[in-house]
Amino acid sequence: MNKTRYQFKAEDHFEYFEFYSEGPNGVVKKVVEYQKTSDENVYNLAFGDYDEVAKGIDDLSVTNNGDSLKVLTTVASTVYAFTDKHPKVMIIATGSTSVRTRLYRMGITNNLDEISQDFAIFGFTKDNTWVKFEIGEDYEAFLVTKKENAF
Amino acid sequence: MKHIDKLNSSKVPIVPIDKRLEKYRGKVLFPEKLAKANEILARAALPKFVK
Repeated sequence: MNKTRYQFKAEDHFEYFEFYSEGPNGVVKKVVEYQKTSDENVYNLAFGDYDEVAKGIDDLSVTNNGDSLKVLTTVASTVYAFTDKHPKVMIIATGSTSVRTRLYRMGITNNLDEISQDFAIFGFTKDNTWVKFEIGEDYEAFLVTKKENAF
Repeated sequence: MKHIDKLNSSKVPIVPIDKRLEKYRGKVLFPEKLAKANEILARAALPKFVK
């Protein structure tokens, strides 16, 4: 991913990352989490704003900092960092709303050539099956793994 | 120089470690999303073309 992104940092397991979104609405701390799911080889990717007052995360917040592409590029870059540290895992991602899910789909679509060089990508359909990601199709969730893990 | 060029062109970023982020370890920051992921994983087997 050679697009502009924010610098981020991590703890040494690379399961939590932090970076700061900057824009007209100020500086907002973002947290990216890779959480083990019920399948020990699958991690859930989630990210959102860190509320400094409530000391909690809000994954429904809309920062409106005009940098959603840069934020998505930054999150995508954490995928590279995470899978470099955990090369055999799969990552599942769902949007917190259908709008967010469509945003993720657009992000994958717009970078599919580059992402496909390194990762196999699957979409979860309304028929409850995983299929190879196809441009223009609607998915409820996405699954990503390093290319060498897929046939 | 070759080593530096390789680092510059790598898609894998160099990530600074910040011990302060260890405060998150063991916590589920996005429980609803994790629940949704688990629910989806329960509805279907993983893609058969994954090793």
